[in-house]
Amino acid sequence: MDNQEEKTSGSNLKKIAIAVGIILLLLTLISFVGSNVGAMIFKTKALSVFAVGKPHVVLPAEMPFHGVHLSNTMLTSFITILILMLLFISAARKIKLVPSGLQNFVEFFYESLANFIEDTAGTEYGRKFFPVCATIFLFVLFNGWLSLIPGFETIKFNGEPLLRNPNTDINVPMMLAVISFCFVEYWGFKAHGLNYLKKFINVGALIQGFKEMFAGQVKTGLNNMIMGLVSFFTGILEILSEFIRLISFTFRLFGNMTAGMILVMVAIFLVPWVLPSVFYAMEAFFGFIQALIFSGLTLCFLVLAIMSHEEEAH
Amino acid sequence: MEGQGLGLDLPTFIGQLVNFLILLAVLTIFGFKPIRKILDERANRIKESMELAEATKKEYEHAQAEVQKRIQEAQKQGEALLTEARSIGERLKEEAKAGARREAQAIIEKAQADLKRDQDKMIDHLRREFAGIAILAAEKVIHETLDKQKHLRIIEETIRESALGKKVN
Repeated sequence: MDNQEEKTSGSNLKKIAIAVGIILLLLTLISFVGSNVGAMIFKTKALSVFAVGKPHVVLPAEMPFHGVHLSNTMLTSFITILILMLLFISAARKIKLVPSGLQNFVEFFYESLANFIEDTAGTEYGRKFFPVCATIFLFVLFNGWLSLIPGFETIKFNGEPLLRNPNTDINVPMMLAVISFCFVEYWGFKAHGLNYLKKFINVGALIQGFKEMFAGQVKTGLNNMIMGLVSFFTGILEILSEFIRLISFTFRLFGNMTAGMILVMVAIFLVPWVLPSVFYAMEAFFGFIQALIFSGLTLCFLVLAIMSHEEEAH
Repeated sequence: MEGQGLGLDLPTFIGQLVNFLILLAVLTIFGFKPIRKILDERANRIKESMELAEATKKEYEHAQAEVQKRIQEAQKQGEALLTEARSIGERLKEEAKAGARREAQAIIEKAQADLKRDQDKMIDHLRREFAGIAILAAEKVIHETLDKQKHLRIIEETIRESALGKKVN
């Protein structure tokens, strides 16, 4: 009998799912037909509910306040920062040995991140790297997720959107890249002192080769000189890669986030209902992934910087 | 400017940098540090209590073994004591029995000896008494010629003199 009940409830669920699917499909079609694009295709008049303005992409952050140099991305990052601060301060203010409520949630967050970082960098360095990596992660993540709140980018002020995902403002990813770069170099120098420079300016073998040449050991000298030249160029490549990281960091985040923003915009323009939800879900996922990549790569470069050169050579 | 198309803007950049640094500082000081501390404390506490539990368990097991050992020892001791006591009791009983027997024997012997002595004394006494009477009677017979009546009277007199006469005296 139980089995039968299960069967009937299962078939009921199936029916409900099919019904919901059909409704969603109908909504999609209706919104498509009623939108500006549908009106163009079917030569009808667009319904005002579905008539979304043509998307126009503006890469620089808009300045909604005339005469004040305050971009909408800046405003949003204020909100992100406020939320993060409130979240962590209120969780840590009444911190107890036996956690409850918000503290539980924040601790879970903290521990997952700390485990990720300490697994990569080891416990000792992991704890030192944690604040920067975690803050980058949280900042990027909350910037991305905040902009997914419905209506976020549609609030207008002086004809410009009042709020905008800070990750889509090139200044923010670049700022994060610079922070990451500085932190990496700082730890490189801290771990190796001036020896850290040897990774980039590698002329030891070259000079050794010259010396041997003048001392008359032509063969070994020549050998060493060639090896020295190779390592010298490797050093230059290292310098280059260090700066290329800056650019790749910047444009990876900026590009992904901006592309997401444009994708959602276009989806809303084409099919105002249902379809954008799919892209919203994707954006939620990409926001997380980008945050993880940014902080994860920073962590990787940190680990590379503190590793001894001998170890790296193997 | 080349950057204009992308929206590169130094004031915004610096503003965001300051934003981020403030966020970093605040989160580190007011968020991460207390959380790290509490997590470490909790880990320590758990470790400590687990060690304590382990130690307590070990201690308990140790105590248990000790108690077991003690009980066994006590049992063994008790048994030994019991056996000893039993043997002592047995011996005492034997001894008491032997003593009583000996005493009884001694009493009997003494009683017998006393009896014999009294008997001897009596016999001796009787004998002497009798000899005296006989002598007395003989004297009287010898001293007087006797007729039958006298004879009887003499004997009677003699007896009276010997036994009754003495008693009167």
